[in-house]
Amino acid sequence: MSNDTQYDIVVIGSGPSGQKAAIQGAKAGKRVALIEQNREVGGSCVYQGTIPSKTLRESALQIVRFQRTTEVFEFKLRDDIKIASLMKRLDQVVKAHGQFMKEQIGRNNIDLFHGRAKFLSNREVQINGIDGKPLTLSAKFVVIGTGSSPRVPDNIPVDHEHILDSDSILSLVYLPKSLTVLGGGVIASEYASIFALLGVQVTMIDTSDRPLRFLDKELTDEFCGAFEESGGKYQGEQKIKEAHWDGYSKVITTLENGDKIESEKLLVALGRIANIKGLNIEAAGLTPTSRGLIPVNDECQTTVPHIYAVGDVIGPPSLASCSMEQGRRATCHALGLDPGGNPENTPMGIYTIPEMSSVGLSEQEVIEKFGGAIVGRSKFNEIARGQISGMTIGLLKMIADPKGEKLLGVHIVGEGATELIHIGQMGLLNNVKIDSFVENIFNFPTLAEAYRVAALDITKKRRR
Amino acid sequence: MTTPTTISTEQEILEELRATLLNQLEQGKLDLPLLPQVANQVLMVADDPNSDSSKLSSLIQQDQALAAQILRIANSPAYMPRSPIVSLQQAIAWLGLNMLSGIAFSVSVQSGVFNVKGFEKEVKGLWRHAMTTGLFGKEIARKIRHNVENAFLCGLLHGIGKPVILHTILNLRTTSETKPTWSVIEQLMNEYHVQVGKKLAESWKLPDPVQETILMYQDHMYAQATSPTKGAMITCLATHMASFQLDPSSIEEDVLRTLPVVQDLNFYPEDMDALMELQDTIRSSVECMIL
Ligand SMILES: Cc1cc2nc3c(=O)[nH]c(=O)nc-3n(C[C@H](O)[C@H](O)[C@H](O)COP(=O)(O)OP(=O)(O)OC[C@H]3O[C@@H](n4cnc5c(N)ncnc54)[C@H](O)[C@@H]3O)c2cc1C
Repeated sequence: MSNDTQYDIVVIGSGPSGQKAAIQGAKAGKRVALIEQNREVGGSCVYQGTIPSKTLRESALQIVRFQRTTEVFEFKLRDDIKIASLMKRLDQVVKAHGQFMKEQIGRNNIDLFHGRAKFLSNREVQINGIDGKPLTLSAKFVVIGTGSSPRVPDNIPVDHEHILDSDSILSLVYLPKSLTVLGGGVIASEYASIFALLGVQVTMIDTSDRPLRFLDKELTDEFCGAFEESGGKYQGEQKIKEAHWDGYSKVITTLENGDKIESEKLLVALGRIANIKGLNIEAAGLTPTSRGLIPVNDECQTTVPHIYAVGDVIGPPSLASCSMEQGRRATCHALGLDPGGNPENTPMGIYTIPEMSSVGLSEQEVIEKFGGAIVGRSKFNEIARGQISGMTIGLLKMIADPKGEKLLGVHIVGEGATELIHIGQMGLLNNVKIDSFVENIFNFPTLAEAYRVAALDITKKRRR
Repeated sequence: MTTPTTISTEQEILEELRATLLNQLEQGKLDLPLLPQVANQVLMVADDPNSDSSKLSSLIQQDQALAAQILRIANSPAYMPRSPIVSLQQAIAWLGLNMLSGIAFSVSVQSGVFNVKGFEKEVKGLWRHAMTTGLFGKEIARKIRHNVENAFLCGLLHGIGKPVILHTILNLRTTSETKPTWSVIEQLMNEYHVQVGKKLAESWKLPDPVQETILMYQDHMYAQATSPTKGAMITCLATHMASFQLDPSSIEEDVLRTLPVVQDLNFYPEDMDALMELQDTIRSSVECMIL
């Protein structure tokens, strides 16, 4: 094999995980190849995931805010806001972000290959170009960051026209009158709340009794309240028997209990599957788990020590934020560099409307671990900033140990939750005492004041 | 002033027609056909989120020829009805609202714009190409998970300027007595259908993505299209696929498979294989929609 095709690190996939793995390698002075099957770099994060869904959400919020303002000022917005105008903005944001990433890769002298990668052996990766021509690279280390795709159950024929997945929902050209959303996870809840806000009649169906079960119940209760207020319906503890387009004007979803739900479109958001099809991981000596994931240890190292797997392809938490860090760490580990301390207290941000975020332990976990907990609460409509902005929804919960001294978790629902959480995260990382939130001064009026109010609530509940 | 009638050469006819056509185009005097009324209404009903099948069926009932045509299509093998379809209501239920509005629209456009005495065979060819492009467009859109709903209409109407040019040419008074040959007409259609199509699309107030497709579906243009629906790029490949299907000698398969648009759509050889495999299905769907 010629020197041209020999690399220190070959990274497969240019999503957040692969990109950071590649950049870390290049920064360490290594020869790095990055293989991406799409024309653009950035992965599903940029094209089908984080960026588009958040842009759509932001545009929807702006429209609704504007609509509310126009009511105050007594002029009317056109009724037929086309989703196309929302999407146009989305297209611009996505393009700008993609371009930025491409430049970043170029700046770091990473060799970018456009093609589908597959393993020939544990050190050889073949790239099949779009013209069908193969090229084989050899590598000292390989990082797999091929991401995930929407899971489609056998009993639901996704045609991307009437029955959509989280990729094709982004190409709607008009707002449907009604939308059924299958699933109760992050993606399902985010899209359900965006479309409900835009005036679409949304029905969410899931097996769980409430959406986003892994979150604090008080948070999801607030979310469900807001969702219902904008006309959404959540049907929990339901199993789906089948769904089909009636070949005419609506999609019919049949539940195991016999109920039928009709809607113009159906969104299937029932989890994701790792992209390992076609990768031929067996040739590298790897075997997927029973759930189709690539098994790794804490360092993201697979069972073949010089092959790493990062991001969605190794399963939860399946977040862009974590994927990036896994990519960086995997390369550091491979090259024997110190990646720094292990990340702790990673926050979780859910961009529903209202948004939700949490970090640290839940109330239940604290009770189980410490034999009790003191919980402080602050409602946004009871603090000045919330009142000024007319917020009706919003809750910040601080969880402390049974003595009410140590901060152990923060859970927030309401505007700005995904930003506000970082104060809590820093508090947790630095073992900040509950009293510090009371004794120190925050800007006024801000939502951050909710921390102070919640901390005060805890101090009041301490046993004297 | 009277000019003596002459027997002109093909080249002369071409040049004269071109000059007249250009003149009409530039002066905005082009005689654009009206959008057939039923087609217009069908577009409105299909665009209206509050519409339902009963509106569409009553519209179709107003046009006996259209109703008969829809029944024929619904009963054709391509749609495989479980039992014979006898009523319009049943046909609507079987074909579906979207498909039906596509058919109703195309049938009425077909009988309006695409109706030229003396060139029936050629016009049928244009129509077949348009339908094939629409259906391929839909499949390409499905593959890239992008706007399957809109792709059919984009493909169907991308070359709508062609029959209009044909009408115009045949109605022009020329100095020559010699009728233009099909090859002369074809050349003019190829040269001007985009400009003419654009004018028609504006006057028919076709949806924005369709207008953009008409203007920009060609190989050297689609990259400039800005609509997120990607109608122009999708239709560009779809029209090549249609040409290849209808006349395999018009483009070599190797050339087709390596067109820039194939790469820009990120279609790998295996994706093109999958598209090629759809040829028979698309052919039979088209055949049953041709009048
Ligand atoms: C709707 C939605 C909303 C989301 N919202 C958020 C959010 O708000 N916050 C958050 O943190 N996360 C969010 N996520 C999750 C986030 O997008 C993913 O966790 C993240 O993109 C995973 O990164 P990755 O690098 O592992 O994979 P991906 O981003 O999926 O990238 C993988 C890349 O590998 C390429 N590839 C695959 N196979 C091959 C092959 N054989 N050869 C070459 N290339 C290949 C793919 O084309 C792709 O570009 C969201 C996801 C979705 C779907």
